[in-house]
Amino acid sequence: MYIELRDINKSYGSFKASDNVNFGIEKGKLVALLGPSGSGKTTILRMIAGLEKPDSGEIEIDGRVVNGIPASERGIGFVFQSYALFRYMTVFDNIAFGLKVRRMNKAEINERVNGLIKLIGLEGFGKRYPSQLSGGQRQRVAFARALAPNPQVLLLDEPFAAIDAKVRQELRKWLKDMIHQLGVTGIFVTHDQDEAIEVSDEIIVTNKGRVDQTGTPIDIYRHPTTAFTSSFFGVTSELSDYMSFRSFDDIGEYDKAIVRPEFVKITKKNEFQKYKSSAVEGVVRDAQFRGNSIEVTVNCNNSTFSARRGLDEPAVEIGEKVDVFIYRIFVTHGDDVKLLKNNALREETVVI
Amino acid sequence: MAAENAEKTAPVISREGSTEIHAKTAGSKAVKIILITVSVLFLFVMLVMPLITVIYEAFRKGLAPYLEAISDPDTVSALLLTLEATVIAVVINTVFGLFAAWAISKFRFHGKKVLVTLIDLPVTVSPIIAGLIFVLTFGRQSVIYPFLESIDFMVVYAVPGIILATVFVTFPFISREILPVLDAQGTDEEEAAALMGAKGFTIFRRITLPHIKWALMYGIVLCAARAMGEFGAVSVLSGHLRGKTVTLPLQVEILFGDNKFMPAFAVSSILVVLAILILIVRSIVEYVGKRKKGENSQS
Repeated sequence: MYIELRDINKSYGSFKASDNVNFGIEKGKLVALLGPSGSGKTTILRMIAGLEKPDSGEIEIDGRVVNGIPASERGIGFVFQSYALFRYMTVFDNIAFGLKVRRMNKAEINERVNGLIKLIGLEGFGKRYPSQLSGGQRQRVAFARALAPNPQVLLLDEPFAAIDAKVRQELRKWLKDMIHQLGVTGIFVTHDQDEAIEVSDEIIVTNKGRVDQTGTPIDIYRHPTTAFTSSFFGVTSELSDYMSFRSFDDIGEYDKAIVRPEFVKITKKNEFQKYKSSAVEGVVRDAQFRGNSIEVTVNCNNSTFSARRGLDEPAVEIGEKVDVFIYRIFVTHGDDVKLLKNNALREETVVI
Repeated sequence: MAAENAEKTAPVISREGSTEIHAKTAGSKAVKIILITVSVLFLFVMLVMPLITVIYEAFRKGLAPYLEAISDPDTVSALLLTLEATVIAVVINTVFGLFAAWAISKFRFHGKKVLVTLIDLPVTVSPIIAGLIFVLTFGRQSVIYPFLESIDFMVVYAVPGIILATVFVTFPFISREILPVLDAQGTDEEEAAALMGAKGFTIFRRITLPHIKWALMYGIVLCAARAMGEFGAVSVLSGHLRGKTVTLPLQVEILFGDNKFMPAFAVSSILVVLAILILIVRSIVEYVGKRKKGENSQS
């Protein structure tokens, strides 16, 4: 592991910001620290950077325990949520700052800074001040400034939070490509699942100061191991009594039964439904156009949840009675989570 | 501006009928005229007239007596002492003000609120009392007086006392100007610089100073203005030794007490000129500072 955190604890007064945090990150990976606000993700980032000291535990970067090493000597680039660009310096001077501090010679600084300005696509903006740039441009300058001293690790605190939706899309892709191209190891903090899924190679899910789960985005999506991660991705709804839906195993006691829109199939009464015998009747409450699909909200066995229908399928009306078939659900009990598949699907495989 | 506002707000207040709008507009015009007249009259009586009187009285007997009055050795030494006390007070308070403001805005520590309150003390305590405090602390009754006497360092009725009093009275000005600016800036930029390996002084010079530059200048101007005009505390500590411990405001008082009205006004005119110079510098600092702020403010 290139970066490793071992048994990290950190409290602010009575608030436990990090509760026995353990994880490792491989070299060259771009990792997302994902969690709701107050889950301790920014604290973890600041401790890796050396801006905060853990109360206990070890932080190792490239085989070296860095607890006692000051922030400036850890070889880390940091992009602040607010960017923290030096407002009284031009774009050029902002990027050059870290190099000047290192007493690099002038010709080298010029070459490196101009190279970076080119890399971030802001040629001709070198003499501008941060206040004369758009949000996306500032973000890129902050990125270039952090990269200028050639750090091995790049940390980004909510890097896209202050940018409008359209530019954010472009920047996400840009950042991902850029980090892989440069070969640095990156960690970024976000509370946005889409962002984590889209940008990162791996996700570390934090909740209440603990690390709930780590894995690739698709892993965590498919196999959530805790109650928190099972309800974190995508739009989830709860079923009030999952046993009222047909063909699920009874696991006894449970806290929540969670269903995602992609687990639900809604069919009109006159449409073909392969598992009709396991479907239950529901009433359409709402149908919303979502650009590439129709989101249908149904009320069924005292639960309300949603499903998607393709744009080419016949439209459903509000108040219409439909067949609802659920492929799978997550059932949580305490911190455990269990994936239940509809037995109707299994019966078919047995027949074959 | 004022006229525009008055006319714009009037129709909003009364929505019924156009006649009333006219009446209200007319009314607000009258209000406007009254307000402006009162303000101008007040300023004239309270500020302009005294200033004119000072200049008129100073030059009443012509230029030669005026020049003679202000080149009097006692007056010249008073001017020099005033400038000396002002420069020293500004230097000391700039250093102290920067340290205090930096400590208060960038660190969390116990007793921070006490420190913030203490900084304001000189503004709330009467200068006469401030003077008395120093007399009691450094005068003959004081426990440290024998020590001061042994090293031949006199505070009361001597120049150090005057400087001390001036420093005391003016010390909130600079830190008070810088504090809100430092508070608003936060610590992100400093942290970013520190992460890139910048040391404390580099961070201060390259990141913090450009940010507080104009507030600092403004604080210095206010501090200088207050230092030059200080009378109460200095009066208590001075002992009025002519040519030695007399500052310009004290010199004016002495001349006035001796019924030398023309020289008193002549010396006053020096203070007036200094005050006007400071006002001009202040306006320039304020103007440039605002423009820079507009240019560089980050949304």
